[in-house]
Amino acid sequence: MEKHLHRRKQRKKRIIAMIILIIAVAASTFELATFLPTIGELNTPANSYISEYYIENAVEDTHSYNIVTAVLADYRGFDTLFETCVMFLSGITAMMVLSTKDKVSKSIEKKSDDVNIFESDIMDNAFRIIIPIIMIYGIYVLAHGEISLGGGFQAGALLASAYLLDKIIPGFRTVLDRITEEFALVVAGVGSFIYLSTGLLPMFNGGNFLEYGKLPFGSKSIETVGYLHSTGILLIEVGVTICVAGVIIAILEVVLERTSFDE
Amino acid sequence: MPILILEAILLIALIFVAMGIIIGQELLPGVIIYCAFSFIAMLLYTIIGAADVAFTEAVIGTVSTVYFVIAIKSINRSHKK
Repeated sequence: MEKHLHRRKQRKKRIIAMIILIIAVAASTFELATFLPTIGELNTPANSYISEYYIENAVEDTHSYNIVTAVLADYRGFDTLFETCVMFLSGITAMMVLSTKDKVSKSIEKKSDDVNIFESDIMDNAFRIIIPIIMIYGIYVLAHGEISLGGGFQAGALLASAYLLDKIIPGFRTVLDRITEEFALVVAGVGSFIYLSTGLLPMFNGGNFLEYGKLPFGSKSIETVGYLHSTGILLIEVGVTICVAGVIIAILEVVLERTSFDE
Repeated sequence: MPILILEAILLIALIFVAMGIIIGQELLPGVIIYCAFSFIAMLLYTIIGAADVAFTEAVIGTVSTVYFVIAIKSINRSHKK
């Protein structure tokens, strides 16, 4: 009874602290909001210099079909490359912190493990139908990465979430079941490497790093530059997809390894 | 003007959902409410015009929800202390 009362008192304190915090943050935000420009105003520095340059010169500079992709993969190609590296690093870190040493008990456990979070036949069967659709959608997002929204990161997360669902369903074992966290992490590293080597390839053909128009495939006429650019974007997006999917699967495997679902 | 009203409603809903996660005592419903948080954030990104970011938010919100559920199962505790 006393414990209950104590908990209620603590909760009241927490709510009061939260309300004070909300008021303080709201007040400071309102104070600062007067300095900020409204969204979409034309006279702001962001809208008057750099956007104008991108809109006017992106197609000429990069031969991309989509300005957003041109900004993401050409003007800010290094950004995306090192984002991929950061993803890979986070996977390594999660494994370093979480993974356990005793592999013997793990391999015995692995044979009988059905993760089985919620026992429900309806959910299981629904997941079984959804998994291939999610995978096809992931491939679609990857293939349409240049001309529509989405791209490598989203495609990788979609493919990994299909794997997640596959892991959750009990008694539904496929080839994917044999993926260990080490293997997933190696695959993620291969994804980063694909991106990097796609960036390096044009340098053998006299281009700059990540200059997709000078990839050493096909002829070098002006008409094919757009196709070459698309090929380059597809290659780096395949790299990003593999990296993201590998990291997500690796973290999931590491977390599941420490989890016992017996109770 | 109506889009501004919608944005204001969504922002207020975002605050209340975040408060609900902190105040609530159960962990598993908290994760489900977090899913709602990510959905509202996704709608806000769509209104601003960042469809790419909204897509990422939707996908990552789903994946992270599964992570949280597995983490809660692994510590075998459904209440906050």
